[in-house]
Amino acid sequence: MSSEYNVGRRKFVKSAVTLASALAIARVAPTWAIPQGRSFKDQVMKSDEIDLMIARTPLPVGQKLGKPITINGQMPGPLIRLTEGDRAKLNVTNRLAEDTSIHWHGIILPENMDGVPGVSFEGIKPGRTFKYRYDVQQNGTYWYHSHSGLQEQLGHLGPLIIEPKDGDIGADREHTIVLSDWTFEDPDEVFRKLKVAEGYYNYQKRTIFDTIEDIRKKGLKKTWKERAMWGEMRMSARDIADVTGSSYTYLMNGRDSAMNWSGLYKPGEKVRLRIINGSAMTFFDVRIPGLEMTVVAADGQPVKPVAVDEFRIGVAETYDVVVQPKDRRAYTIFAESFDRSGYVRGTLTHELGLAAPVPELRSAPERGMAAMGMSEEHMGMGNNGENGHAMAHKKTLPVENIEIKHSEEEHGAGAAMVATNPVSRLNEPGLGLENADHRVLVYADLIGAQEWPDTREPGRQIELHLTGNMERYMWSFDGDMFTEVDGPVQFHQGERLRLVLVNDTMMDHPIHLHGMWMELENGQYPRPRKHTISLKPSEKVSLLISADAPGSWAFHCHLLYHMHAGMFRVVNVA
Amino acid sequence: MRNKLIAICLLLFPLASYAGHAEPDWPEPVEKYYTGQILFDRLELSRSDNEENTAVWDLMAWYGGDYHRLVVKSEGENTQDDGAATHLESAEILYSYLISPFWSLQGGIGTRGELSSANSMENYAVISLMGLAPYWFEMDNSLIINEEGDAQFVIEAEYEWLLSQTSYLQPRVELVGNISDSTKYERESGLSNIRVGLRYRHEITREFAPYVGIYWDRALGNTADRVEANGGDITENGLVIGARVWF
Repeated sequence: MSSEYNVGRRKFVKSAVTLASALAIARVAPTWAIPQGRSFKDQVMKSDEIDLMIARTPLPVGQKLGKPITINGQMPGPLIRLTEGDRAKLNVTNRLAEDTSIHWHGIILPENMDGVPGVSFEGIKPGRTFKYRYDVQQNGTYWYHSHSGLQEQLGHLGPLIIEPKDGDIGADREHTIVLSDWTFEDPDEVFRKLKVAEGYYNYQKRTIFDTIEDIRKKGLKKTWKERAMWGEMRMSARDIADVTGSSYTYLMNGRDSAMNWSGLYKPGEKVRLRIINGSAMTFFDVRIPGLEMTVVAADGQPVKPVAVDEFRIGVAETYDVVVQPKDRRAYTIFAESFDRSGYVRGTLTHELGLAAPVPELRSAPERGMAAMGMSEEHMGMGNNGENGHAMAHKKTLPVENIEIKHSEEEHGAGAAMVATNPVSRLNEPGLGLENADHRVLVYADLIGAQEWPDTREPGRQIELHLTGNMERYMWSFDGDMFTEVDGPVQFHQGERLRLVLVNDTMMDHPIHLHGMWMELENGQYPRPRKHTISLKPSEKVSLLISADAPGSWAFHCHLLYHMHAGMFRVVNVA
Repeated sequence: MRNKLIAICLLLFPLASYAGHAEPDWPEPVEKYYTGQILFDRLELSRSDNEENTAVWDLMAWYGGDYHRLVVKSEGENTQDDGAATHLESAEILYSYLISPFWSLQGGIGTRGELSSANSMENYAVISLMGLAPYWFEMDNSLIINEEGDAQFVIEAEYEWLLSQTSYLQPRVELVGNISDSTKYERESGLSNIRVGLRYRHEITREFAPYVGIYWDRALGNTADRVEANGGDITENGLVIGARVWF
């Protein structure tokens, strides 16, 4: 058995080396993203200390020359592989002309090792080296990225995989897949355009012909009523992503669709795909036509297996899925931007050089009344998109009994809307996926694989609202941008608390808490643990947190430009 | 110029209060953001039914943060070969404050008149309510009071229909009324003028969008009577060609 395995592996290596294209790719792609992936039986490459060099390096990105921020000459950066129980020793040297940092996303560690300038440390000055040291207390799929300015948009990110102590990855082979969005524009210029010209990157707005079409399909009265609702609120039903395929090249392991990142399998093998959304702004819908995917971990934490055909991955989230291709053929790994303005594909194949058909982009979705926190029945309107699944809940979630308190005045000029009737939307797959003719993962499907140590009931509740004003690109919590608030959100050390989040905007937001897990109250037990939770428009969710990590921690929207605009708070645990 | 603006803004805005936990010499995790824009909403040549060719500008420039901004607005025109000087319809400098998600309240000073002789310039104070009204009407409503105490209001509204992702049909209305008579500037009280325009604009880039259009202009009420009494036309219409440009 094991000798056959080795022969197979040698064949893979040989075919990889003989392909000239593979060599060409090797120059530009991160060296860890080799087609062979990593098999469970490989030796774990370990060095006691890992040196990471941050620099600006001209590199081809897709079909053009870019100047990304590289880590050890690569974009995305090297795959860092640690083992649970080890002490991480990571020396980060800054060869940029400005300060930098690395935040270890999803890792439980001391506050001064978390890597957020201004919260956990002062940042890494040009020419300096910062030595990160922490004990690795977990395993799974994570990632790391800069927490300085907009550096993440320039590719300052990479995968961080932590092996379980016994080395068992629950599969014969694994591939790490980092999804990201790249722009050839200066990220500061992108931010300025978002600030001064609302909708700058949106080329999927409604035109008068959409209205004419609606009148033809739905009748004048209903169309008028719908348009009046949106017009009254001055909101756009097609405002899905702030930065779109009009500027972005979507990348899989640093390669665009034409370069077609490929991962190998042997028919019958169980292959674990560690999928990381390292984008600045893009939610992806991921599927592998012809292959069922079994979700086995979310945000690095094991969940009870869920078989799906597609899943939406929010910015900064990770999912581990296991696939078992039995045929000798190629499969397309298709990651479609959730506004349908672009995609990136890669290939899972038994032999290099093959490709499978690439699906067409689906049409641009449009938000329905549910996005405003109004049920369509209430509006006297039929099914129009986002609402369909909301009534499917059987169990009553804790959040459904929580009455949300707010008034428009409370949130001020920084909040263009409040969700009049926020609801739980954990069993909705998300905008544009409602009518998919296959199984799509929903948060309500996730069940923790084990019971977490703290089983106390929450003693306290904190409610935070996600707010924004699209016209001026102001993003905030409770209507106040970070620069407007006077102090941190206070957690009492040792307490068990319930965090209630309410999305008072028309956008999806991936909300990330540093330093502590959030257990999602999705009606399942054990609850799934998350480091990043995506909220749909007008959604409310509740999360249980054990405030066991003393110190100051960042809490923010992981859409990079939303964070930069002020959707950021410090949580203080004391 | 830019440095001066920054200096003014720094005086206007209180220093950021710190919202986290940090050593004094650490940077802020998120900083206040200031930027600016120069927008020529209209930069055009028009030809009227009297066969007059006129160059027209309508610009707004601003610098500041999310709530507080310094705004400069100017409109004017120069008719070719009429022997008259450039007509400055307005040149204003205003402080702008965001009072609600879609509206800014602005206050400042302005001047207008023929640019030939300085003594004919009319200086005034202005308050504007500028923003986005429900149903997507882009509005700029101003109340103007000059040194003589004469009051006037100007209502401007624009709307955009998207024909495609880069082309627009844009109706525009401008209504002027005098709250009081003005003997010095020969103004009659009541509504004085309405100007309606329709432009078809195509974006080459988001920043540069040429357009063609038509306009119709009519004097109203007592103002129309005065124009007629002086033997003038109370209506004018014409074609325009120009570009909307920002940077």
